Amino acid sequence: MPYVIAAPCIDVTDKSCIEECPVDCIYEGDRKLYINPKECIDCGACEPVCPVEAISQDRRVATEYGDFVADNAAFFTVTLPGRDEPLGNPGGAAELGPVGVDTELVAGYES
Amino acid sequence: MTATVEVDVLIVGAGPVGLYGAYYAGFRGLSVALIDSLPEAGGQVTAMYPEKLIFDVAGFPAIKGRELVEGLLAQAATFEPTYLLGRQAVGFERAPDGFMQVTADDGTVISCRAVIISGGIGTFTPRPLPAGSEYENRGLCYFVPSLSEHADRDIVIIGGGDSAFDWALNLHPIAHSVTLVHRRPAFRAHAHTVAQVRATGAEIITPAQVTAVRGADRVEEVEISVDGEPRILPAQTLIAALGFIANLGPLKDWGMTVVAHRHIPVDTTMLTDLPGVFAAGDIADYPGKVRLIATGFGEVATAVNNAAVLIDPSAHLFPGHSSEAVPV
Repeated sequence: MPYVIAAPCIDVTDKSCIEECPVDCIYEGDRKLYINPKECIDCGACEPVCPVEAISQDRRVATEYGDFVADNAAFFTVTLPGRDEPLGNPGGAAELGPVGVDTELVAGYES
Repeated sequence: MTATVEVDVLIVGAGPVGLYGAYYAGFRGLSVALIDSLPEAGGQVTAMYPEKLIFDVAGFPAIKGRELVEGLLAQAATFEPTYLLGRQAVGFERAPDGFMQVTADDGTVISCRAVIISGGIGTFTPRPLPAGSEYENRGLCYFVPSLSEHADRDIVIIGGGDSAFDWALNLHPIAHSVTLVHRRPAFRAHAHTVAQVRATGAEIITPAQVTAVRGADRVEEVEISVDGEPRILPAQTLIAALGFIANLGPLKDWGMTVVAHRHIPVDTTMLTDLPGVFAAGDIADYPGKVRLIATGFGEVATAVNNAAVLIDPSAHLFPGHSSEAVPV
């Protein structure tokens, strides 16, 4: 039952959540940030600091953003453009650095 | 001088699960020490949500994190465990006599017959400053334990949270200058503290990021990028207050299997694949694992009772009922 980042983050990527996350499981795409559902410990520290209220628990995601639950996971399980394999569970975003690409849903999202 | 602590059981991690394990070890007549890198017991509950209500601890319809920890401390106190707080368990080796020796980062050696790791999500360490991390302890610091060592210096503080602003406020009266740098114009720190810092006249620069740190031996200047424009700030102290990251730290070098960078597989007795070393709570992993305080309590009771048999093979696995024990 991880936390999930939805559409309001797209083209904002404020990153306050990254500073709060105690397990460094929020990864940087190009237009959006993504929470790794396997690494998230469900502490909720990220939710209140998001200036655009893009973060919620996966069970409480607003209906219109329902697709973003699977999409946060897809960022780690699908092979992203320009990569040979899925990111998997890198164990820390700081070490990995910005990924620079997005999922198909986010890359083509019209905000 | 190296201090040595000799106990039957060493518990690594003094969160709720470790504290309950200390009670249980005492109940089994085992001497016990708890070690934790944080300065206070209670682990994540104390560090992250002391005031939050918890609704899923058996027997408590609702209890504040702080109160749960107080109760666990009182329960464990029955058996007078040794607390080694503010110290990190670093080294692990086996002595020829069957004892295990765990070394703490302050040099304390804990000699024990069983180890129970209840380390949760690991140890909290400051998030490193991406540019200039090689200047740590040479002008770059992540904590300010003593204000006076920064007297008369030009101080640059990176961050927008409470720590950054508290340090700015406290250092301003003694520093030559204080400059606060944050990557965005909004701050997470309390509005009141931000206003207090502004009132001191300390310069606050946003949106800005550190791009380089320079100095022959120690930090002499910090280069920042302000909205894309480079700017040089003289600095003899650079404080990075960028939050904390938890990781397993030195535990991952002890030799047991670690999965997904943070979990330690255990069998049904909570034993890891390192003889004499058990794990319980969030850090322990097995098929069907559910990470709750409630399950951690059960796991650590299982771990302690199995450790009791390991230490004394003639001991019973089942501890008996606490309600029938002789009152202490």
